[in-house]
Amino acid sequence: MHAWIEFGSGPLFRLCFALMLLGLARIVVLTIIGMVEAYLRNDDKIINWRELIGKTVSWLFPIAKLLKKRPVYSLVSFLFHIGLILTPLFLAAHLLLWEKSIGFAWFAIPQSLADYLTLIVIVCGLTLFLMRALYGPARAISRKQDYIWPLLLVIPFLTGYMCVNGRISPATYQWMMLIHIFSGNLITVMIPFTKIAHCVLTPLSQLVTGIGWKFPRGAGDKVIETLGYKDRPTWVEQPRLGLEKVTTVEKEAAEK
Amino acid sequence: MNRVRNFKLILWMIIGLGAAVATARFMFGLGAVTNLSDRVPWGLWIGFDVMSGVALASGGFVLTATVYIFKLDRFHSIVRPAILTALLGYIAVAVGLLFDLGLPWNIWHMMIYWNLHSPLFEVGWCVMLYLTVLLLEFFPVPAEKYGFLSKIRGFLTKLRLPLVIAGIALSTLHQSSLGSLFLIMPYNVHPLWYSPIMPVTFFISAIGLGLMMVTFESLFTGWLYRREQEVDLLERLGAAARWVFLLYLAIRLGDLAVRDQLGHLSGGEWQVKMFWFELVIVAIIPTVLLFIRAVRRSAAGLMTVAITGVTGIVLNRINVGGLVHINRGETLYLPAWTEIVITLAVIAGAALVFLFMAERFKVWEIQPVDPDADPIKMPEFHPVDSSWLGKPEIVARTKYSLGFIIAAAVGFALLSGEPLESRGVDPVPAQQARGGDTLWIDGNLDGYGVEFLHVRHWYRSGSGESCVECHHMNLPLDRNSGCYHCHSDMYLPADAFRHDWHSSPTGGKLACHECHQKGVVRAVESAKKCDECHNDLIPSEASIEVEQYMAVSYADAMHHLCIDCHTKEAVPRENPDLPRCTTCHKGQRDIIDATVLDSDRRNLTGKRTLLPPIHQE
Repeated sequence: MHAWIEFGSGPLFRLCFALMLLGLARIVVLTIIGMVEAYLRNDDKIINWRELIGKTVSWLFPIAKLLKKRPVYSLVSFLFHIGLILTPLFLAAHLLLWEKSIGFAWFAIPQSLADYLTLIVIVCGLTLFLMRALYGPARAISRKQDYIWPLLLVIPFLTGYMCVNGRISPATYQWMMLIHIFSGNLITVMIPFTKIAHCVLTPLSQLVTGIGWKFPRGAGDKVIETLGYKDRPTWVEQPRLGLEKVTTVEKEAAEK
Repeated sequence: MNRVRNFKLILWMIIGLGAAVATARFMFGLGAVTNLSDRVPWGLWIGFDVMSGVALASGGFVLTATVYIFKLDRFHSIVRPAILTALLGYIAVAVGLLFDLGLPWNIWHMMIYWNLHSPLFEVGWCVMLYLTVLLLEFFPVPAEKYGFLSKIRGFLTKLRLPLVIAGIALSTLHQSSLGSLFLIMPYNVHPLWYSPIMPVTFFISAIGLGLMMVTFESLFTGWLYRREQEVDLLERLGAAARWVFLLYLAIRLGDLAVRDQLGHLSGGEWQVKMFWFELVIVAIIPTVLLFIRAVRRSAAGLMTVAITGVTGIVLNRINVGGLVHINRGETLYLPAWTEIVITLAVIAGAALVFLFMAERFKVWEIQPVDPDADPIKMPEFHPVDSSWLGKPEIVARTKYSLGFIIAAAVGFALLSGEPLESRGVDPVPAQQARGGDTLWIDGNLDGYGVEFLHVRHWYRSGSGESCVECHHMNLPLDRNSGCYHCHSDMYLPADAFRHDWHSSPTGGKLACHECHQKGVVRAVESAKKCDECHNDLIPSEASIEVEQYMAVSYADAMHHLCIDCHTKEAVPRENPDLPRCTTCHKGQRDIIDATVLDSDRRNLTGKRTLLPPIHQE
């Protein structure tokens, strides 16, 4: 058992962690390459940077937007993210492991705070799962991984909390620790290959949408028009032209 | 194209693995990723990446000579791939060398700091120049595609003949000089390989290897891209190669016979078996097979010959480069998996660039076409998950990058989790010089020492009080302590002061404050100087000023002292050879029965203890 725990927190963790870092780097690079290609192919090359950056920043704090429509969901989700990010990165016990393997570590959060954050993550994770499973419209747009992820994320937090605070026998402790480590590794390795890749893709998502709406010239504006959002500041009556090239292409087409 | 893509995916994965190891290599140094040591400083990276890499790339000069000098135009269609292979081979050599050099950022030193006596200097310059020549020779190929380069292209095409001649000259020089490198170690290289004509055998085998490599490259890429094999051309190459191999075989055996070394062939040592194995796959199998017409005319037969020949000559380079060196103590060198990975990754990188060039530019007469890239073709969905990743190039980068990162992550996981650092140098206690008036100075008793004529040196440096030129510091109450007292380790700095002894109750019995002042931070700088207690340690006219209590290693101490003085004396004595290695290291040695030495020394030096005769003058 001990050997498995050592393996999980040693070579296996190195594998998963390296895969996560490299995989995230890969997905960012691939996304950027894809964006550049799409941009070069676009008819409409005008990008409203101000609006895009504004949207990206405002979505980093979804409370303001979502509180209007779904206050409970947005609050639960926000708390869930905070606990999810802070606890594994700043837990004192994890920092000891870092120090052992790479020689340095950073500051830790107090154990009591970590405990509360863990409980919050567990509660929020289960709540998110139930909300998704019970709310009809959410269920309609959910894939399998959408159900699996909240539950999977809860597992290491639950086992970790039991290991730290539970009154359990040493044998149970080892089992709990084993589950904790292996589920943690599984999460780490799956991050870049599933929807959790949004942790690095968030800054790009608005840009991707912005570029993608412009394959045919003025498509975005036409959609906005159709949806009846003419009052939006980005909408213009006449489709915009980015490059002179477009007109030459049109001329050629006309000549043919 | 599926075959090509799978092959490229494998190459990308190897590069991924290599990237992980390379990170460790450049962050933590050679010790972390290699099995090299002070005793075995040259390993797989030199033997394969550099020595074999240069030889593998010899197809370039062989074929340019064939086509442009001997005007055998029928080989024209395989000149371009041969030049490209050579160019990439030499780049791979340079990259491989960067991994092996302890201070890779000093690689340019040989351009500025010339050591005209070193074959390695010549090899370095030739490789550098030939790399330039190859670049210029190959440049017209990619330039064909870009109109704005047509002027340069035209100029380089006019310049082709001089470039080809320069390429042949440079190749001749350094292919043979790689053999000259080992002329300096007649006692290290096993007598079955060591020969004064090593430069010649290296050159001839390089020609054979060049022909084999061109054959291999043509057949392999033909298989990869499902091209029609150029068997009729390769048959002629094979027909030429058989005479080269036969010549090589004759020279190797004839050389052994002339030098009376044939007796070694009957021995049972593993080196002898290695020699036979090497000779069979280098020369005998290829020669015999190439004399059979049916073999020469079949792609499979030519491939067999090419693989055995290439493997054999690569093995020869690895053998000469380090594997069959004898008398290196008990250390047996086997490359670490990380070394093998780097080697493979360098080759994989070169292969990828080759395929890239071949697909983009007109390296072959007929450029390969990707059938999946046809714009009219309908997308084919994956049968398992019914997904479609996009156009071929998008699929390619998705898959290759995935393969790369998975392999790199596996590499990181496989690297040791222990703090990665070099094992460093093993301590080797320096031994007292033996003898009387003629001292045999050999700190680690490995048989390679220096005969030091004690009296003559004393006399020549002015007799009288000139002892202090060397005996710059002595033990208390002594006037001629041996070097080994303070410089007590062969390769490591040693503690000449011995703090533990001074402070121990059984030694100096000194309390802390007898050297360190009270109330001051205890450190070397604030402590008493040696001469405050011992007034006889340093003779008044000592030539060397002792600045700190750590003495440099025995080897460093000997070399600095002797070479400095010899360099100074070379001018008045009009003897420029005075500071050269061979002035002192004459390589003399004799075998003394190991039983006369105590067991410590036997362990230190291995089973064969070699010492020179000790003359009395």
